[in-house]
Amino acid sequence: MASWAVRKLEDRLFVVAVVLGSALALAPLAHALAVTLYNGLSTMARAGLGFFVNPPPTPYSASLGGVAPALVGSLLLLALALPPSAFLGLLLAVFTNEFPGSRAAALVEVGARAFTSVPTVILSMVAYSLLVVPTRSYSALAGAFALTAASLPYSYTAFSSALRMVPEMYREAAYSIGMSRWTTVWRVLVPIARRGIASGVLMTLTRILGETAALLFAVGALRYVVPLNPLGPVDALPLLIFDYALSPYKLFHEVAWGAAALLLIISLALFALSKVVVKGVRL
Amino acid sequence: MKYAVEIEKLNVYINGFHALKDVDLRVPQGSIFAVMGPSGSGKTTLLKVINRLIDLVPGARVEGSVRVLGVDALRADPYELRKKVGMMFQIPNPFPHMTVYENVAVSAKLNGAVGSRRELDQVVKWALETAMLWEEVKHRLDRYPSELSGGQRQRLCLARALAMRPELLLLDEPTANIDPVNARKLEEAIASLKGELTIIMVTHLPRQALRVADYVAIIYDGKIVEYGSSQEVFVRPSHTVTQLFLKGEV
Amino acid sequence: MSAPVGEMLSEKDKIFYFSLLPPALTTLGLLALIVSTIGAKAALVLPQALTILAANVWDPENERYGLLAPVLGTLVVASIAGAVSLALGLPLTLAVAELLRGRLGSVLQTLLEMASAFPTVVIGLWSARYLAPFLSENVMKPLYSSFGFIPTFSCRPLGGYSLLTAGLAIGFSVVPYTASIMIESYRLIPSTYREACYGIGATRYETARILVSLARPAIAGSVLLGVARAMGETTIAAMTVGNAMNISACLFEPSYTVPALIAAQFGNANLYRYAEPVLYLAALVVLALALALSAVGFKLVSGWRVRIVG
Repeated sequence: MASWAVRKLEDRLFVVAVVLGSALALAPLAHALAVTLYNGLSTMARAGLGFFVNPPPTPYSASLGGVAPALVGSLLLLALALPPSAFLGLLLAVFTNEFPGSRAAALVEVGARAFTSVPTVILSMVAYSLLVVPTRSYSALAGAFALTAASLPYSYTAFSSALRMVPEMYREAAYSIGMSRWTTVWRVLVPIARRGIASGVLMTLTRILGETAALLFAVGALRYVVPLNPLGPVDALPLLIFDYALSPYKLFHEVAWGAAALLLIISLALFALSKVVVKGVRL
Repeated sequence: MKYAVEIEKLNVYINGFHALKDVDLRVPQGSIFAVMGPSGSGKTTLLKVINRLIDLVPGARVEGSVRVLGVDALRADPYELRKKVGMMFQIPNPFPHMTVYENVAVSAKLNGAVGSRRELDQVVKWALETAMLWEEVKHRLDRYPSELSGGQRQRLCLARALAMRPELLLLDEPTANIDPVNARKLEEAIASLKGELTIIMVTHLPRQALRVADYVAIIYDGKIVEYGSSQEVFVRPSHTVTQLFLKGEV
Repeated sequence: MSAPVGEMLSEKDKIFYFSLLPPALTTLGLLALIVSTIGAKAALVLPQALTILAANVWDPENERYGLLAPVLGTLVVASIAGAVSLALGLPLTLAVAELLRGRLGSVLQTLLEMASAFPTVVIGLWSARYLAPFLSENVMKPLYSSFGFIPTFSCRPLGGYSLLTAGLAIGFSVVPYTASIMIESYRLIPSTYREACYGIGATRYETARILVSLARPAIAGSVLLGVARAMGETTIAAMTVGNAMNISACLFEPSYTVPALIAAQFGNANLYRYAEPVLYLAALVVLALALALSAVGFKLVSGWRVRIVG
């Protein structure tokens, strides 16, 4: 073995390397956060409250306009995609938690994992060919379909781990007073797991709001009109950011930063909320 | 004599391990029946067969005849069976997301034709009184079990079990994890139930069995080595294991 | 008289099971539907698949297509991203699970979780506006002028949009994911190993070396899972890769990845006869690769976890 002095030096260098590596890992994202907030908040400040209620500008217009159509569109998509994703995810989680040895449960587990590997742009292509083409219309519904498919494996995994953490003794207690399996699930297991489930819902929400690729060919980007029809085209914040960032117009870039900051703030707020919700578990 | 539980040639295998071997047992109705033995001898498994909680044990296989309250327990619908058989566990497990009141009430509502709120209140009060917990919680019915001590939680579990008016009550080392003062209270509560229902109590404390039980079975390595009235077994133990057990050497 | 209870289901249990089977089957059916739709839509060009995959052209007007550039680009970008997630994920893992194991460690871990909540389109925007110019000015141009004779650096950067930028950007976005799997796995190493190392007087560095080598399959698996995810990344790629059908050894020029190609071309594809099927074919290739890599990555990680704990 080398001398103690050499080993000590190696040890010191190691710590330096770990610190540097970690910093390098987080620095780009920290920079992105700072830059997005800086650019975006200044856009929002210049646009004023109108940012939330006005439609976007045309490339050479005088004012910054706003992102109202995309914002409403995102919320509409959320309202359409979150319930099916959450309910289906919960039912699946209950299923694999109740019958863990069954072949169907094993298939569901494998299926959920496979689902997470599917590139979300592919979900958009499928939504296009299955829903947009036959109905000859881009629609929020097609987008919601793609978003549900994109977020389902994550909601399932979150709910499944929340349910699995409920100690088995509560199931025994429930059975011992004559509760049926159904009642045990909904009146004992799910309520005890409610914090983890709530956190899972928030995470699913975040995923749905931030997902871009799944919407590319499904919703049609109805950019200038606030959408009211789920069967018609719709815009969404991430889609707007994507399109405007790729455009050549400086004005669009500024709007993109504003929308990006908005999306980022919402995502981080939801993240913080999910952490707070999980905190108070007292078994 | 009527028997609450009649077991003949019961063999239980858990993942190949022979947990209970040729068990024969008859528990007279209305009695308090103690099952004693060193840890790992199969006591809890025996209880779980009686109320079909053995269904939750992965890899379990049961053979033999088990009649509980006149019904073939192995063939019956376990959920119906469990409505008549209550259980208390070694580690108290009151529902953490329900208040003290709700813990008892949920059991009553599931199993009785409880009508109005007043009737429910009465059943809850009765159950908590019989479990000797009422005085301590009567002003705290809307609190959660996490605010109770271990001994109080265990008595809450007893109240919850009683609220379903079971005909048979299974107790798995109920005083194992609580302090002596609470343990005594719990024993008093259990003793007071004699005659109203049948109680099978697993314990590893010979003195506790002496204090409380009418009949005793000694179980060792999955086999019943001795059983009879507690007088016979404690005063004139015939099997070596029993003698060693009573002396605390097993 | 015997009754095999235990895992046996009573009548009521069976009803419950069958009532939950439809949602389970629907979900599995959805997965099958997705894969089969892609396959069916690509069917038109499947006979010429190999030709298309070997060609480098995109001329829908004349119905001439080649996927070599995007497929190669996807592989290069995913590899760069994988290398980045290994190079940066390992220090993060050691920081959280070895060096800083107390309060500071959990703060760091929360920061990591927060980083995974970053929408990728925002990372894409930042990459296009800041990372690409930065790399172009400070990395690519200097390397091009000083070491231009090396094939990898032999082209003049065009604003920084390139496979290198895309690979780095996607790598940064995938690091939190990869690191979280590594950390979870590292934490499963029984503490007796660490205690044994310190017990014989090993330094932190030496201990970490031993533990990391113990965890090699899990680390490899995590990186593979990160690579699989990187393959499917669309928004960042579309905003940084330059969108050009270009194959060269040089990493500084614009090129393509399959998701970026799809994002750019699928919208107009229905104007032509074979454009859509070709894009579906491309999607099929990436899907198959991503599924295969994920499966291998998962097997490595879970297999190792079972062995290390047992």
